Parts: sequence; C-alpha cells; structure tokens
Amino acid sequence: MSGLDKIAVKVVDGADAPTGNVRALMHELAQLVDAWTRGGEPASIDLRSLPLTRGDYAELDTVLGAGAVSASVEAFGASEVRESQYPGVWRVTHRNEAGEVVADLVEICEVPLILRAPGEDVTDGLIRLKEALQP
Amino acid sequence: MTTLGDALQASGVNRRAFLKFCSALTSLMALPPGMAPAIAQALAKAKRPSVIWLSFQECTGCTESLTRSSSPTLENLILDLVSLDYHHTLMAASGTAAEAARAAAMKEWDGKYLLLVDGSIPTSDGGIYGTWGGESFVDILQQGVKGAAAVVAIGSCASFGGIPKANPNPTGARAVSDLVKDKPVINVPGCPPIAVVMTGVLAHYLTFGKIPELDEQLRPRAFYGDTIHDRCYRRPFYDQGKFAKTFDDEGARNGWCLYELGCKGPITHNACATVKWNAGTSFPIQSGHGCLGCSEPDFWDKGSFYKALSTTEWGNAKTLGAAAAVGIAAGAAAAYFGRKRQEKVEKEG
Repeated sequence: MSGLDKIAVKVVDGADAPTGNVRALMHELAQLVDAWTRGGEPASIDLRSLPLTRGDYAELDTVLGAGAVSASVEAFGASEVRESQYPGVWRVTHRNEAGEVVADLVEICEVPLILRAPGEDVTDGLIRLKEALQP
Repeated sequence: MTTLGDALQASGVNRRAFLKFCSALTSLMALPPGMAPAIAQALAKAKRPSVIWLSFQECTGCTESLTRSSSPTLENLILDLVSLDYHHTLMAASGTAAEAARAAAMKEWDGKYLLLVDGSIPTSDGGIYGTWGGESFVDILQQGVKGAAAVVAIGSCASFGGIPKANPNPTGARAVSDLVKDKPVINVPGCPPIAVVMTGVLAHYLTFGKIPELDEQLRPRAFYGDTIHDRCYRRPFYDQGKFAKTFDDEGARNGWCLYELGCKGPITHNACATVKWNAGTSFPIQSGHGCLGCSEPDFWDKGSFYKALSTTEWGNAKTLGAAAAVGIAAGAAAAYFGRKRQEKVEKEG
C-alpha cells in the first residue's frame, strides 16, 4: 500500500443533498391535476428540465409513493410506468438500450400514451391475426 | 427520397419505440413534454436530409465526440438516418473519389443540403495556410455554402475561431459566421460540443423544417439558454457562500463551489451540467475541476483557467454582478426560466 489510505478524506457528495425543489414541484402537480379534473388538458412535466439533485429524486419517489399500477414497455430499451399514490399522476421513465435515462416524466392523465396500442399497430396486428386464421 | 418514418420502420423500430424516441428528443430539445406526439408525427414524415461535412483548422475532436458515442442508442439513431454524403476526415483516404462524391451531392441536393463545418478558416496571405488539393479552405467553404440550406458550425473553432485564432492568430483564422453572411448559420460551440446537442440541432431542423431559435451568438437557445452555473448541482453551495479555496482543502473535499478556483460556469452557456459527458457519467465540475468556458468566444485568451472570474478578462462588472445577484433564488429562477421558454415554444408551436 502507498499509505494514501491513511489520509482521512471525508467524501460528501453535494449531488445527494435535497434542495427543497420537490415541494415546489408537488404544488405544481396539485395545480395541474386540479386543472385537468376541471376539464382541462392532461399535462406532463419533464423532470430533467428542472435542477434536481439525486437527493431530490429520492424525496420525489417517497412523496409520490406507489399506486396500483406498474408496467414496463420494452422498446429500444426499457420504459417504466408507475402510477403514484395519487391516481392519474404517473411517473414515466424511458431508458435507452444502454440503460441510460433518456426521458424522465411525471404525467397527469388517465393512461400514459406509451401504454396505449398505437392505431397503425392495431391495424397491422389485425392483418396478421386474419392471416393466422386462414385455414 | 424516403421519409424518416419509413427508414425507422424498415430498421425494425416499432411505433411505441418511435414515440419513446420522440419523448427523448423532446426532453433533449427542452420542448414541453406534451409536444412529443406532435413531434413524432412531424418527424415520421420528414425527409432524410443530405449532409456535407467540411473539416478545416481543427483537431478532429468534434468528429470524435459525435462518432465515438458509447453505444448505438436511441438518440443517435437519428444520425444513422441523415444521409451523410461527404465527411472530409472520415473519407480522406478515398481521395478524388470522395471529392467526386462531394460534388455529386452538392449538385443533386442543390439548395437543400445541410453544410456542417468543423474548424476555423485561415484567411491571411490569401488563405494559403489551409488547402485541400490546391484549393484554399476559404474557396471550398464558399463553394459549399452556395447550395446549402443552412450552415452548422460544429465546435468552438468553426463557431468562434477557436484555438487557431488564439493570440496572435498567425493564420488569420476566422469563424464561419465571419465569412458566411447570406445563409443561416447555427453555432454549436464546445471543445468539443456534446454529441447529443449536435443530434438535437439536426432533429430540430428535421422536425420543424427550420433552424431553431438562436441567441445573439447564433447558438440554439434550447441547449445554450442556461449557464452551467444555472444547472450546476454545486449551485446551492455558491448560494450559501461555501467555496473551495484550493484543490485539496476541506471545501474541495466537501464538494463546495469552485468559483474561487476559476470556474467559468457562471458565464458559460452549455448543457454539460444536465446532459453530462461519457454516457452521462460526469462533467468537469462533478470531477472536481472548474469549467474552462470552452463554449464561449475567446475562452482561450481570457486569462488563467484558475483565477476567479472577477479577476480575469471575462465579461464586465455588469454581467458578473447580474450573475451574483441571481444567486439567492437561483434554483427556482433556473426552473422558472426553463419553464418560461417551454411555454414560449408551446405558443409558437
């Protein structure tokens, strides 16, 4: 050993400290859900556009909690869709094939679009189904 | 000419994957996330553009940044889908055959191709300091510009002159925007620029059929709208007045703000703090070193990398004062401006 291990180094990672931004975010979520339930549009928030630390993400996971639904979509990497403890508020995380997060969203809607079967895919599927039924 | 949608379907990308790809692009371009389905529609119908890439006074770092990405990922799929008809450095070994390909692409896509340029252009003494096959870089640039729909200056050399322009600038190096006045020029500075930023600029052009909104330095606002400091995870320490004074003091070990060690984050507009480098692993400040300001004009001639901003030739008292004044409410302000920009795009879209 070089003896370097004897030097006391305290490693505190600033990236882990919560900033308090999650509370602001939750207020915004409440406002968006309120507007949506009053006949407004579904909405989404791009978490990566906000200055959130790892600590903030951990806090967000805790306050959103887990709802009844969780799903994964395999399309060029895994996407995770998790309903929060507040129905209609979803956490949608898209990853690429290397496992890196490429989009991290909170969606306010009945069902996130990524879970719905795309119309053209349904039509294509019907064609394949009919072919399979040919005697 | 095939559309991007056709090309994607042919390469086995299903519609869910494409929607996801567009969500990623939307996030990358700092657009409102609700626009992803509309972007998917527009992009599926977009035609693959012809791209001609010219390399002048440069070190090939920009091409390295773009082509050496960690693995084939969703984001750089789009790069497979442009038609890169000529790349000077990658095709150099092909000699005259490559030059013939450049001429053919310029003729076929006259008025429609995108011209990408990395490197500055030497203009002193008739431009003799940079030539290919007996032609000067100045002439080759002007030939390329003539039929281009737009010119993208890749990297700090093409955008601002870069290291070749450093004092005393023996070759008379100039930026693309100094020499091109009759075509739209987009600057994508950085030494090198972040690969996904280059991708994002191309994606924006394909999606909207026009060049993105630019700042006064001709940089796309979506990627260069915020400073490194605005989005830096060490920002809370700046706000609390906690600074590392040397690279081995307690502040440095505690990950405090590197302002006093010369970090140029407060005046550097780039996406390093959010997108990061090497597959999102880290960026200079996270590795314990201040930002050099490599995406800003003349960063190479503005004094020591290790002197605090206020003692160097960066900006002036007014801009630095503004940066400091923003201090207190910074996290919230960055989020606020980010959101404002999204709202603006939404209204325009």
